[in-house]
Amino acid sequence: MTATTKPFDDTQGLAIAVPKKHKKQTKFGVFLSYLPLWLIGIAVSSVIVVPLAYAVFDGFKEQGQVAGNAALLPEKWIFSNYGDLITSPVFWRQVLNSVVIGLLTVGLVVVCASLAAFVLARLKFRGREVVYTLFTLGLLFPAAVAILPLFILLRTLGLTNNPLGVVLPQAAFSMPMTIIILRPFFQSIPPELEDAAKIDGCSTFGFFWRILLPLSKPALATVSVLAIVGSWNAFFIPLLVFGNADQWTLPLGVMNFSTEHTSNWASILAFTTLSMIPAVLFYMVAERQIVSGLTAGSVKG
Amino acid sequence: MSIKAVAVPKPRRHTWSGRATILLFLAPALLLYLVLVLLPIVQAVYYSLFNWNGLQPLTNFIGLQNYVDAFNSTLFTGALSHNLMVVGLSLAIQIPMALGLAMFLSQRFPGRTLFRVVFFLPYVISEVVTGILFYLLLQPDGAVNNILWSVGLDGLTRDWWGDLSVVMITMFFVISWKYFGFHMILLLAGLQNIPKEVMEAALIDGCGKWQAFRHITVPLLGPTLRVSIFLSVIGALQLFDIVYATTRGGPVHQSDTLAYYMYDFGLKRQEMGFGSAIAVLMFLICFGFALIYQRFVLSRDVDGATTSYVG
Amino acid sequence: MTRGVSMKEEVIVNLVPKRLIAGAAVLALVASACSSAAATPTAAPSVAAPSVAPVVTVAPTAAPVTIEWWHISTGEPGKSIWQSAADAYTAAHPNVKINITILENEAFKSKLQTSMQAGTPPDLFQSWGGGTMASQADAGMLKDITAAVAPWASTIDPGSLGIYSYKSKQYGIPWDMGMIGFWYNKALFTKAGITATPKTWDELLTDVDKLKAAGITPYAIAGKDEWPGMHLWTYLVLRNGGGDALTQMVQTGNWNTDACIAGGTAVKALVDKKPFQTGFLSAVYDKGEAAAMGNGQAAMELMGQWAPGVEQSNSTSGKGIGANLGYFAFPSVTGGKGGATDAVGGGNGIAVGKNAPAEAIDFLHYLNSPAVANQINLANMGLSTTVGTAGTVTDPNLQMVLAGRAQAKFVQLYLDQATSPAMGASINDATAGLFAGTSTPTQVCQAITTAAAKK
Repeated sequence: MTATTKPFDDTQGLAIAVPKKHKKQTKFGVFLSYLPLWLIGIAVSSVIVVPLAYAVFDGFKEQGQVAGNAALLPEKWIFSNYGDLITSPVFWRQVLNSVVIGLLTVGLVVVCASLAAFVLARLKFRGREVVYTLFTLGLLFPAAVAILPLFILLRTLGLTNNPLGVVLPQAAFSMPMTIIILRPFFQSIPPELEDAAKIDGCSTFGFFWRILLPLSKPALATVSVLAIVGSWNAFFIPLLVFGNADQWTLPLGVMNFSTEHTSNWASILAFTTLSMIPAVLFYMVAERQIVSGLTAGSVKG
Repeated sequence: MSIKAVAVPKPRRHTWSGRATILLFLAPALLLYLVLVLLPIVQAVYYSLFNWNGLQPLTNFIGLQNYVDAFNSTLFTGALSHNLMVVGLSLAIQIPMALGLAMFLSQRFPGRTLFRVVFFLPYVISEVVTGILFYLLLQPDGAVNNILWSVGLDGLTRDWWGDLSVVMITMFFVISWKYFGFHMILLLAGLQNIPKEVMEAALIDGCGKWQAFRHITVPLLGPTLRVSIFLSVIGALQLFDIVYATTRGGPVHQSDTLAYYMYDFGLKRQEMGFGSAIAVLMFLICFGFALIYQRFVLSRDVDGATTSYVG
Repeated sequence: MTRGVSMKEEVIVNLVPKRLIAGAAVLALVASACSSAAATPTAAPSVAAPSVAPVVTVAPTAAPVTIEWWHISTGEPGKSIWQSAADAYTAAHPNVKINITILENEAFKSKLQTSMQAGTPPDLFQSWGGGTMASQADAGMLKDITAAVAPWASTIDPGSLGIYSYKSKQYGIPWDMGMIGFWYNKALFTKAGITATPKTWDELLTDVDKLKAAGITPYAIAGKDEWPGMHLWTYLVLRNGGGDALTQMVQTGNWNTDACIAGGTAVKALVDKKPFQTGFLSAVYDKGEAAAMGNGQAAMELMGQWAPGVEQSNSTSGKGIGANLGYFAFPSVTGGKGGATDAVGGGNGIAVGKNAPAEAIDFLHYLNSPAVANQINLANMGLSTTVGTAGTVTDPNLQMVLAGRAQAKFVQLYLDQATSPAMGASINDATAGLFAGTSTPTQVCQAITTAAAKK
């Protein structure tokens, strides 16, 4: 297997059996050569998909038919578990809350971070790297660490039971990562463009607003998507800030529902499934942005 | 004009408007960050010196007693050891597995995009939902045990969340289920960033596949791997949501993590001073680890490390 | 943790139209006024009638007032009973608006904690009295209602009322009070050849052996929630040392006592027999313990007055084990200093926030009027503490609980409520080690003593 000239990607799969001879193979032969790969892929995929499938189908089971049952598909299909939730204003209220909180967080973090990243990327001033390092330090301050004092602070500011009490900290905690993604992107925009803009009489803000931001749409999309996924799934901060059920986001709602109806697994799993759907749909649409965002830095490294 | 002051190779004296621009642009992000991220840490240090239930005024100054209590508490050291256990298992199992799957996906074959999408899917599902789902599937009479029974593997059934010796393994499985895709994607990007020529040259020179992997892929993947390990450790140190959604630290605190322990004592038991001390200790552990790691491991590719936390 | 009223009681009554319940309540009220004096020691039948009065008093010219009320009755029948009580009150007092926030137990506790720390407690909220309430009072978050309730305080069972008083000041009013005892499955006991309920702890241990021999899970317990096991331990400490000794341990924080160790040893004797259901360490109360009882999969559980309702609502059939469910008081311990009628108990009440308007206290009076109290009894939502309402407790098992409440010379409030939240959690933690086999009886007493010393 040494001196062959294979496609690069194949040579990478060293740990795993790789289809060897691509040339001169019958259709069946090609199929056969892919078979081990597919088997591995299917095996790993099933670890991911089977639990999710149980959540989906258990939601259609009768109460009492979930526990003590190995079957994936319901014996008798019950639609009321999902139906009750979909027709419940509480559920939609939580969806709405999650959406509103998510959008506000994204809006705030993208505006603030792109302004800051712009300064840190394209303006030179004393202390610039200090400020940048200060932001990167934030990666070491997981929300979990700061949560108690943060909670006390929000209380002092009168932000408990207030959507802003969730939006502001979430934006603050995703600021470092967003700036870190945006800065190299802003840096990569050629200085010629800026010179041209200058000649055309653009102010600093004009360049930022009319040229840099439109050119940075992919990066902005990436950070937005990451921020909204983070906000959608966030639990710890909303748990402490929102006591009032009217304000709960979906993760709080699901959690509360599951502790409240401990015996009714079918309904819990129906709720769990419903709360996953928006995230999964969003992922299907924005997979590219999420993946490129996560890998932005390591490609550079 | 401010434009003159910017985007020039060397720092120059700024005009007032240039400075104003810098300040104005930086202010919102910096303010939010300082007030809501850094300030709370400083406050935690202060609160941690008091015996305080969060209700009354801060009067009962007890110095470092909360820290002494923490280290004397077997529950605290227990929680810490659970975090460390997750760190160890992540490095020993989760990262190698993610690397293997990244190698797998870096091959060209029909369906690999689909597999990539599926492998990464759990990352977008919230910890809470993941936790609740597996909490139910892994109940004594839940789906997993029932499947084992139905195929005759009775001996493998466990009380997954209730058995003191199994609960952290179960927890680790759920954590891996949720996060291996994230590390896989990082490593996949790293793999695709290795220049083709290098590998081709190696193979032409007679390198075996294992040798090529050992001596070329892994070293060239180094920066990404180090980032992945870094994020895995920091992530493991702050586990909360999944613990909350499954065991709440039980049974008898056998699945406490530092973050859950802090919540339990700080908020639920209303010992805000003690909880703050735990927060400070958590921060010191994260910070200490990061410093050491940056100094000795990441020193060559700090930029890579920071740019790719992306959470 | 779901406890206290736990509010999951799906009882038959919620299938009956509300109007019928109200009608029944009125009838029952009349009945109880005539018959119940014997069951409640301080009952004066004539008191019942005037206490209906608050509903009728209308103050049309008063300024508009809003009462914030948080309760944890997320399920029926509690949810409807509270709602209709609020509706009835606001109908009679058009100037009063009652904002009800219903929270699940755990969420309620963190939400309440949040609002206390913000200095804005609700006007009325769920309380179990005891140490948690005391710490709220110390923080100045509660209203001293001693004078305001003085005119009608005698209509409340005095023992229960005392749980909501701290340093001789009243901060809340109970609406439910019961005690913890054994709920058992008569059919399974019979199947195992047990003819009479155990009178002593040793008899109970023997019965456990018999049940095990018959292939029956003797005892259902919720290990994850910790408090069901803690109650068992408390009872055994109480039976061994007596009420005075237990009170002294709580007050001095010195638990390194013979009684404490003897109680733990008695627990261990039970644990060593492995009497619990599979997976008991990760079991939660509703799904793990109550469902095992409700589905007839376990022979007994140690639980409070809410047990039948929770068993029903968590059983697969939704009906529980029906007439097979029996009750017996906690057995005595041979050679122990505690009396056989001494009990561990507690219940639910409503505490009053510091900014509560006078109307909130008037509404509290209405909630404790027989009109509402009888609904609580009839719906098996709890055992009302309003004097003269015992007649509406119709379930024979609950009548036994009520009788036990009346007979008890010493009642220890649930230890995790009687003490501060931190202390309560430490007691739960420590005793849980006995059930998990990770600590010895002596270590449990030592751990609690250590926790108490930190305060």
